[in-house]
Amino acid sequence: MYGLNLVVVLPLVAVAGVLVWRRANTLTWLLFSLIGLWAFFKFGFIVPIPQSVATIYLGITGLALVCYASSSRERLAETVQPIVRLIVEPRYRLALAGLLIALPALAAYNVYADLTAPLEAPGFGREIHPPPPTELTVHDETLDMATADNPYLHYHEDDPEAYEQHLENGRRIYYENCFWCHGDGMGGDGMFAHGLNPVPSNFNDVGTLPILQSSYVHWRIAKGAPGLPAGGTPWDSAMPAWEKFLTTEEMWDVNLFIYDFNGYQPRALGQH
Amino acid sequence: MKLSVPMPVKMVLLVLGTTAFYMYLGQIVPQKEEHPPPPVLISDDMTTEDLVEIGRELAEGKGQCLAACHNIGSSGPSRYPDLGGIGERAATTIEGLSDIEYLAQSLYEPSAYVVPGYEDGMQPMNEPPISLSDDEIRAVVAWLQSLGSTPTVTLETELGY
Amino acid sequence: MSRNKILFGIGVLAFVSVIVTVRLGGFLVDNEYRQPERQVAVEEATGEAEATPRQQGIADEQAADEAEARARPYVEAEYRAVPFVGSRVTVWVLAQLHLLFAAFVLAVPIFAFIIEFIGYVTGEKRYDRLAYEFTKLLSVSFSMTATFGAFLTFALIILYPKFTNYLMHIFSPTFLPYVLLFFLEALFLYSYYYGWGKFGPKMHLFLGFMLNVVGTAIMFIANAWLTFMMSPGKREDVDGDGIPDFVSAVSESGALLSLRDAFFNFTWMPINIHRIIANVAFGGSIAAAYAAFRYLQARNDEDRAHFDWMGYVGNFVAIIAFLPLPFAGYYLAAEIYAFSQTLGVQMMGGTFSWLFVLQAALIGNLFLGANYYLWLGMGRIEGTAHFHRFIKWLLIAIALCFAVWATPRYAIASVSEIAAMGGSSHPQLSYLGQMSAKNTAVNILILSTYMSFLLYRRTGKTSIHPQRQLLARTQVIIFAAAAALVIFFGVFGYHQSVDAATRIRFAIPQVYSVLAAMVAITVIDLPLYRNARQTGETQWGRMPAVSQYALIFIALSFTWLMGLMGYVRSGLRQEWHVYGVVLDTSPDAYTPTLGFATQIVSVTVLIFFGLIGVVFWLSSLSGKKAWEPKSAVEADRLGEGHAA
Repeated sequence: MYGLNLVVVLPLVAVAGVLVWRRANTLTWLLFSLIGLWAFFKFGFIVPIPQSVATIYLGITGLALVCYASSSRERLAETVQPIVRLIVEPRYRLALAGLLIALPALAAYNVYADLTAPLEAPGFGREIHPPPPTELTVHDETLDMATADNPYLHYHEDDPEAYEQHLENGRRIYYENCFWCHGDGMGGDGMFAHGLNPVPSNFNDVGTLPILQSSYVHWRIAKGAPGLPAGGTPWDSAMPAWEKFLTTEEMWDVNLFIYDFNGYQPRALGQH
Repeated sequence: MKLSVPMPVKMVLLVLGTTAFYMYLGQIVPQKEEHPPPPVLISDDMTTEDLVEIGRELAEGKGQCLAACHNIGSSGPSRYPDLGGIGERAATTIEGLSDIEYLAQSLYEPSAYVVPGYEDGMQPMNEPPISLSDDEIRAVVAWLQSLGSTPTVTLETELGY
Repeated sequence: MSRNKILFGIGVLAFVSVIVTVRLGGFLVDNEYRQPERQVAVEEATGEAEATPRQQGIADEQAADEAEARARPYVEAEYRAVPFVGSRVTVWVLAQLHLLFAAFVLAVPIFAFIIEFIGYVTGEKRYDRLAYEFTKLLSVSFSMTATFGAFLTFALIILYPKFTNYLMHIFSPTFLPYVLLFFLEALFLYSYYYGWGKFGPKMHLFLGFMLNVVGTAIMFIANAWLTFMMSPGKREDVDGDGIPDFVSAVSESGALLSLRDAFFNFTWMPINIHRIIANVAFGGSIAAAYAAFRYLQARNDEDRAHFDWMGYVGNFVAIIAFLPLPFAGYYLAAEIYAFSQTLGVQMMGGTFSWLFVLQAALIGNLFLGANYYLWLGMGRIEGTAHFHRFIKWLLIAIALCFAVWATPRYAIASVSEIAAMGGSSHPQLSYLGQMSAKNTAVNILILSTYMSFLLYRRTGKTSIHPQRQLLARTQVIIFAAAAALVIFFGVFGYHQSVDAATRIRFAIPQVYSVLAAMVAITVIDLPLYRNARQTGETQWGRMPAVSQYALIFIALSFTWLMGLMGYVRSGLRQEWHVYGVVLDTSPDAYTPTLGFATQIVSVTVLIFFGLIGVVFWLSSLSGKKAWEPKSAVEADRLGEGHAA
């Protein structure tokens, strides 16, 4: 459900319910929040969230919990007293000893897990959408990237028939050239996609086509991976520079088509 | 016994600690240095095709030919002559000058010959603010030749300037 | 001998021994040829030096050097270098220090004036005293601002002579007004400060008002210089196709076409607005840090109560100014995007995208710190246990929003993680990385912080308004409605039927519903708690020390945030001095790593805090008792000294 791993999430909710029912004290809640959220970020999603993001979330959780525990004298006392009792009172000796063994053991296990994790290429912050040049020359025609727009877009309003024609042409070109990698449904999951790193762009994504101007998409189609600036590295994208195979009109048509297919509008010119 | 840290020490520790924490955050995000694009370089082993490519870049960029003054083969308004097909016309424009010599003259001494109907106003390309080197001018000549004809300039070609 | 003399003696001795060691070491490592002692003696005896080939060589070398120096023509330098740190870092640190002090000097008069005005209207003396306390910080900071301004100007002229000359070409007519305004600023500042209680209240308020007018004008002029470097021109629809075209204020070669366009350029107004608000927030937080410093130093309850209150007011000013700051920031970013797609993508998706994750961490910390301080403040008031249970929910809301805001658009992920996600963005988290999610988060953050204020206001009071239940319920309903609207627009933006342009425009109703809710709730709250019955005394000065450290933490985070945002505003141009016009050809033209930039920001912040510590110390001197001779003996000796 919503990409959540219910096997993990439901028990967590159940434990929280028990804590509410038993009127657990502040310290128990704090510990539960920290451990529960850790488990949630680590195992709670069917598609696991990247380690780096989980670390950010846990850092915020930790900060918030510290703030909460110390936000008034009474609450600080509530938090600290059980710990003091655990250390001072003789009847908790056994629990204390267990804790004194468990904590270093946990740290040791963490080191072990870190060292035995299979080696992997590090997670570079490759720029998915590197900044475009200010000017673009395709087939000896120079465009000002800031103001250029799809020359056939206006047909949508004033000549639906011509628009349909360009769209149809775009569809043909897409399914002749692009769908091998970008996929039938444009989800970036074509039949060759799994062999590629970086993976092909997913045009269904809410954060890809709609936030880009159509001139940007034109730039990416025309210049492909060879035209990527240094920011788009360290891995080379497999995207060909389509200006070598298609005419300018064909590239704008396919541009039109991928927007239309996904029901997105390009980011308008000079839009805020 | 109660251990107490003096206030100024605590304050210094807080300042140092907070700053160090933010600096640490800055270190763990991806690090990337971005260098400006290198200036167009002409190396000794370049062929005529390479020169044409560089000449086009120079004309668009550093040479400022296209942004400000000339058109190529389009009919829009232009204060200066259209460069479309100039490679073809260059050989016959001035009697006694080959196409390379004519193009070189237009770049080094633009005022020596002004196309009828236009005004004299072009800057010599080898002088500031444009300051193209001789090799760069060879590249521009090669590119001009390629507009309408086959370029023949190499880095060994004598331009006569 | 007294202890002081011994210490002084040790100091002198240490100084002398350091010099001796250095000289001796220099003598020993120096491998220059030295003549044997015997020969010197011979020379002295005969009165003439033997002309050895070596001496001839030295003489020839000198002559050649001199001839070369004479023949060398004068060359106009484009850049000069600073050893070790480099030109860019030098100018960077100096400019940032100048800006931090300037921001403080511009901001403090704004709220000192407002507080004085409140004191004038309500007739309460303590406001007047508080405003004076804030103003005390100004005179030293003003000198610091001027010193760093001069230092920065010299550094620019020395290190970037050609580029500085170019800016003179564009902006020379603006320098004279700038200097004149600076004179006026000094005049109004010192008359405002030294004239406290010496003028009638209206005259004095007028001085304060003029101080603000002049200060703002100075900043507006300086802003024109720096925004010109980012956007040298304006956008205007020239060809009438409805799309604004770029109209450059300078020609292709950089010559000035229109000073008007260069001055009132595309990003000038957004920067002005952003800076005024940010300055007030920053100034308030620094003033609160000063109060915290004095609070921790205080030895009696009266001082503690006063500085506790001052810290509270400073923090209040900072947070009130901080609430609209994200909107001003979005406005500025949107204008930059509208000015140039390249700059816009560079900023939000390119080289600088990770900087904005750092920014989210800083802003989240600021919100958390401010709320934390307010919650601790409830400890000042008796009988507030009732309100403590709300803190939990506020904290959860703040932490959630913080997490959403810190979610990167594209996470750092290893290859297997990318494979598992099927792309660079996570299927669920991808939504949180978007602008509309972040807009929603920041709006809820603002609402929550506002609620913390309201709760704080209620502690220790019971309304005696006849319709108190109805009014309080209305407030809750307004609050819930605003939160619901914000979340609705945030979530609905992702619905299939909403295109991206509309989705981005949803930010506007979100902002308006939050603003309207805050205004409406305040309007209800004022009569509700007028003449309210006190159920618990507010005991100023009854704050745990950790709250004061929280204030200092907030001030630090603000300063660091200003440094970071100053870097992105300036660094965004990348290899350009003036974007698209003047290229930086110095070795420092590249864009450094974010790690390096944060190091420079940290060093700058530490220098600033060192200096502001001096300012605090100097300002606290005026409250100290006058110096008196320690003992009768000392007094006697002094008397003798005078007699002699």
